[in-house]
Amino acid sequence: MTRPAEGGAGALAPAPPSGARQVWRRLRGRPAALAGGAVIVLLVLVALGAPLLAGIEGQDTTSYHADLVNSASGGVPRGTFGGISGSHWLGVEPGTGRDLFARLAYGARVSLGVAIAATVLQVLIGVAFGLAAGLGNRWVDGLLSRITDIFVVMPALILAIALLAVVPSGFPRPVLLTLVLGFIAWGGFAKIVRAQVLTQKSLDYVAASRLAGSSPWRTARRELLPALVAPVLTYAAVTLPTNIVSEAGLSFLGIGVTPPTPSWGQMLSSATTWYQADSAYVLLPAALLFVIVLAFTVFADGIRAALDPRAASRLRVGTRAGRRAGREAGAATGGGETA
Amino acid sequence: MRHLPVTSRRLGVIAIGLAIAAGAVACGPKGGNDAKAGAGAKPQKGGTLYVLNNQAQEDFDPARLYTSGGGNIPSLVYRTLTTRNRADGAAGAKVVPDLATNTGEPSQDATVWTYHLKDGLKYQDGTPITTADIKYDIERSFAPELSGGAPYLRDWLVGAADYQGPYKDPKGLASIETPDAKTIVFHLNKPEGEFPLLATQTSFAPVPKAKDTGTKYAEHPVSSGPYVVVSNENNGEHIVLKRNPNWSAATDDQRKAYPDVIDVQSGIDQAVINQRLAAGVGKDADAVTTDTNLGPAELAKITGDKTLASRVGTGHFGYTDYIAFNPKVKPFDNIKVREAIAYAINRTTVVNAQGGSSLNEAATTFLPQQAAFGYTPYDPFPAGATGDPAKAKELLKEAGYPDGLTVSLSHDVTKGDEQGPEVATAIQEALKLAGITVKLDGQEHNAYSDKIHNVKTEPGFFLAGWGADWPSGGPFLGPIFDGRQIVTGGDNFNNAQLNDPSVNGEIDAINKITDLKAAAVRWGALDKKIGEQALTVPLYHPVYKRLYGKNVKNVVISDWTGVLDVSQAAVK
Amino acid sequence: MTGLPAFLLRRLLQAVVVLLVLAAVLYAVFYLAPGDAARLACGPKCSTAQVAQIRGQMGLDDPVYLQFWHFLQGIVGGHTYSTGTGSLHCPAPCLGQSYRTGELVTDLITQKLPATASLALGAMVLWLVIGVGTGLVSALRRGGITERLLTGFTLVGVATPVFITGILLLLVFCSWLQWLPYPSYVPFTDDPQQWAWNLLLPWLALALVEAAKYARLTRSSMLETLAEDHIRTFRAYGVGEAAVVRRHALRGALTPVIALSALDLGTMFGGALLTETLFGIPGLGQQLVQSVQLKDLPVVVGIVLVMGLAVVLANAVADVLYALADRRVVLA
Repeated sequence: MTRPAEGGAGALAPAPPSGARQVWRRLRGRPAALAGGAVIVLLVLVALGAPLLAGIEGQDTTSYHADLVNSASGGVPRGTFGGISGSHWLGVEPGTGRDLFARLAYGARVSLGVAIAATVLQVLIGVAFGLAAGLGNRWVDGLLSRITDIFVVMPALILAIALLAVVPSGFPRPVLLTLVLGFIAWGGFAKIVRAQVLTQKSLDYVAASRLAGSSPWRTARRELLPALVAPVLTYAAVTLPTNIVSEAGLSFLGIGVTPPTPSWGQMLSSATTWYQADSAYVLLPAALLFVIVLAFTVFADGIRAALDPRAASRLRVGTRAGRRAGREAGAATGGGETA
Repeated sequence: MRHLPVTSRRLGVIAIGLAIAAGAVACGPKGGNDAKAGAGAKPQKGGTLYVLNNQAQEDFDPARLYTSGGGNIPSLVYRTLTTRNRADGAAGAKVVPDLATNTGEPSQDATVWTYHLKDGLKYQDGTPITTADIKYDIERSFAPELSGGAPYLRDWLVGAADYQGPYKDPKGLASIETPDAKTIVFHLNKPEGEFPLLATQTSFAPVPKAKDTGTKYAEHPVSSGPYVVVSNENNGEHIVLKRNPNWSAATDDQRKAYPDVIDVQSGIDQAVINQRLAAGVGKDADAVTTDTNLGPAELAKITGDKTLASRVGTGHFGYTDYIAFNPKVKPFDNIKVREAIAYAINRTTVVNAQGGSSLNEAATTFLPQQAAFGYTPYDPFPAGATGDPAKAKELLKEAGYPDGLTVSLSHDVTKGDEQGPEVATAIQEALKLAGITVKLDGQEHNAYSDKIHNVKTEPGFFLAGWGADWPSGGPFLGPIFDGRQIVTGGDNFNNAQLNDPSVNGEIDAINKITDLKAAAVRWGALDKKIGEQALTVPLYHPVYKRLYGKNVKNVVISDWTGVLDVSQAAVK
Repeated sequence: MTGLPAFLLRRLLQAVVVLLVLAAVLYAVFYLAPGDAARLACGPKCSTAQVAQIRGQMGLDDPVYLQFWHFLQGIVGGHTYSTGTGSLHCPAPCLGQSYRTGELVTDLITQKLPATASLALGAMVLWLVIGVGTGLVSALRRGGITERLLTGFTLVGVATPVFITGILLLLVFCSWLQWLPYPSYVPFTDDPQQWAWNLLLPWLALALVEAAKYARLTRSSMLETLAEDHIRTFRAYGVGEAAVVRRHALRGALTPVIALSALDLGTMFGGALLTETLFGIPGLGQQLVQSVQLKDLPVVVGIVLVMGLAVVLANAVADVLYALADRRVVLA
């Protein structure tokens, strides 16, 4: 890839240079992160190529195969390990006999698609709120910070359940899930951006730029935005798996995507009752969710280290702002939303 | 109408939490063979029977309970004018006297019903039970403060339509007369040959006016049955009953009352209930459940275990799950389209979606497969077990849709629900083969219920289920097909909004018959006649499989409730 | 007023505002939701006229802002409901009456709180022991196999959602090994031994997920503290490494850990929704999901307010802990 590192602005910025090439070089030195990235790429390819893969297998996501399940004993799949065979690579679903490989491949589309889109939405809203709060006067900051607080405290899952019940069923579910996740859980981004802006504001070069008569918007664009890239990207990499888990959690509670569309969370949810009678049915979506979240977590670690080598250093000197931001980020991601 | 708690777990359980009575569904042997397997010894008095339930026995007030045949736990405390026969299988679908000397003396046209109380009936405090107390409880059941209960009396009793209960209107209902302490006379608007079956419900239990505490009555009700309430915590979550010293088996030949104490614990997850009954450790060996079925996955596991399988009872509660059409919505106004769908349905995949052939029987009749309902076998659109898409295509062509058509199927989004997504997708897949593209319109549980039961919002093509309040064709066919029961301002169950004078006339004619056997035959014939109009497509009748503890003896499961009868069970 | 009291007062005011907004949002959302609460409360027996009457009794005919205002009045001054023969007084803070069962919401919350508290407290003890222990060991024994193993464990923990951990625990301990019963909540007051035995798996499921987070936080915080100037000074004065850690570094390093536990505990008190649902624990979270499904607005608002209160209080406690442990933090 010969894309040049970020142009003039990047070169001028006195913050630690984080050109794409340099990031890549640092990332290359971390095999775990690379492996994570490879898994992500692989699963994204599976999601994109789901129709092709199902076509090669010769199955689809919706066809029923009544002959492959034992109706008299609750519809458990005939054969070993959930009915694995040459024509059904990962076995079939109990009760219906639908092909699990095809459903898992298509399920990746929903699970990854919703999570990625929701993260993008969260970043947009969070950055907008954080910038405005950080740059605005005391009152603006106070108001926006309180709004952010409300969204951080808001029990996301509950609000999502309530909203999903109110919106008419004709509305496409994956889009709805994206919107609900995106609009509820952006508080962490806003807090991080605000903290970063406040830190940057006090730095000499930003102050100098303001003294030199730059408009706040110009200051934001020229001096602040580049400095936000690293923390926001890092936080986004952490948030993305959280969103995957949230989508799975909502689907697990039975309020995610609607049938016959498969998603991993929804498959896991249908599978929970079968954990004793047909373990394979539970283990497949569970393993995929685990692998993708693990891959993203490892990759996020790598990205963090590559974007901000100082922070990754084990001998980092603690700063007040850093600690607080870290704590707030921890509070924003952890807790009841995914518990 | 009644929703059943199917063994759908998690959120499903929650949403179906509206299942009203403890007596909703249960398990029991068809004919009663396998139930007795592990319990050869004669049942003895004594011990504590534990009931492990998912749903709390809420609103334990006879005026508020909505039960079939007096309920299971409620009937241990509340005796009623009549009650269900406590016997296995079909014999258990009969009505028998309880407080009354017989099942009722009808007037010539079955509009006046007279009952006399047995001698020696006492409350738990030893005071005599009078007919005035029965009249009082019926009046209480009209009070808005005591909501719940069955709707029939408001329609049936003369002058009851706008009655607001004894708290607001102490004069009471003139249509219930109590000429003396042991006689009670009911005056009805219209002939009702099935009044004795209604008189099994708990609103026909006695409540002494002096002891009435309004909404608080449920905590310390005055017992007329074999047990008294020791404690009722958290609105029915944990109820403990002990023997009533003033109850006498001499006046009650139905309740056996073997255990000394009955402990009803609710709020337990359904998976946990099944797990505990299966393991049977400690007190759980003396336990039963009255509301938790085995799910498909649990059945799959238990099938392989002989000893466990011997502790599974099978029950049949009269219930039908079906596709409902609203012919006011196009293209379902066209009978050919409805017939095409009836032919295209694959009942095997539908049954599998609901847990397979052990938990469901494929249905082609609207009435359940029991003599008490008047079951008459018929199949107006014979398509075999897996459907006949070719015939369906043919009918579509005749209907003017040679290239197939696209329709929307409304269903409940609750997982595992009988009207849930599993059944809907099975139908979607079957109709695909007949060239019908089905779009799924899933609604949250309550929203779905509101939508399909409101004539203004009722969709054209949706999933529905119906269970009767007593085993007869009347409460089965009436609410669904009687044109006078179309409700425009409330819950409507006549999905086709059928108002056919010949159907209405036949319903009236059968209601006059006080010989229930003769009536059943006529209900069966009426069902067949209506079935040919393809206003519904019957899908399946659920079968209930339930575990009971190792030490439990005298397992009796009637076709009335499909439930293991707690009044018969023993642990010694 | 300055310092801690002023800070606390400001926090309290903020908390009230946050909770009010939360309640208002829920009122608005449910007001828009389909379904008729009066019909729900009245049951299938009700005629249209009766439903209308109930609706009037419940105040559902009032515009939504008025209903909200009555709700707020109830919190401050209590409320009295009719029971037919008498009346039921709901003392302040009255959160209203369940639409469906007529129970007082405050009673309902009191009933469900013990299960949720049992789950949260037990899980916290476990995750602190596992998380802090793992974190400290991996911070102090840097490099080598121990750290790699521990890093691996924390990664796996972070990557596993609680509903997967829960299912796997059930699969292994209840189905394959059959060491533990399928969990069934037993109140502590009934039988403490059974209480702990039955909650073990839910605690573990929750703790494993949380412990990973804590292990990472403890590790980084410890490393950070050990690198601070005053610790280096101690070392320079020849204080032994063990003593440095025990007497000086631990306090600074554990401050963020304790603050975060306060936050997490607050969230858990609101109900660990998925855990309660998966294991069928009759706590606030489970009740909340049920009530949302049933459109039982007073119960939903009541529980969410209690949940919000717990989180807001926990936030304040965390800030105070920070302030006390680390004088350099300015109360803002």
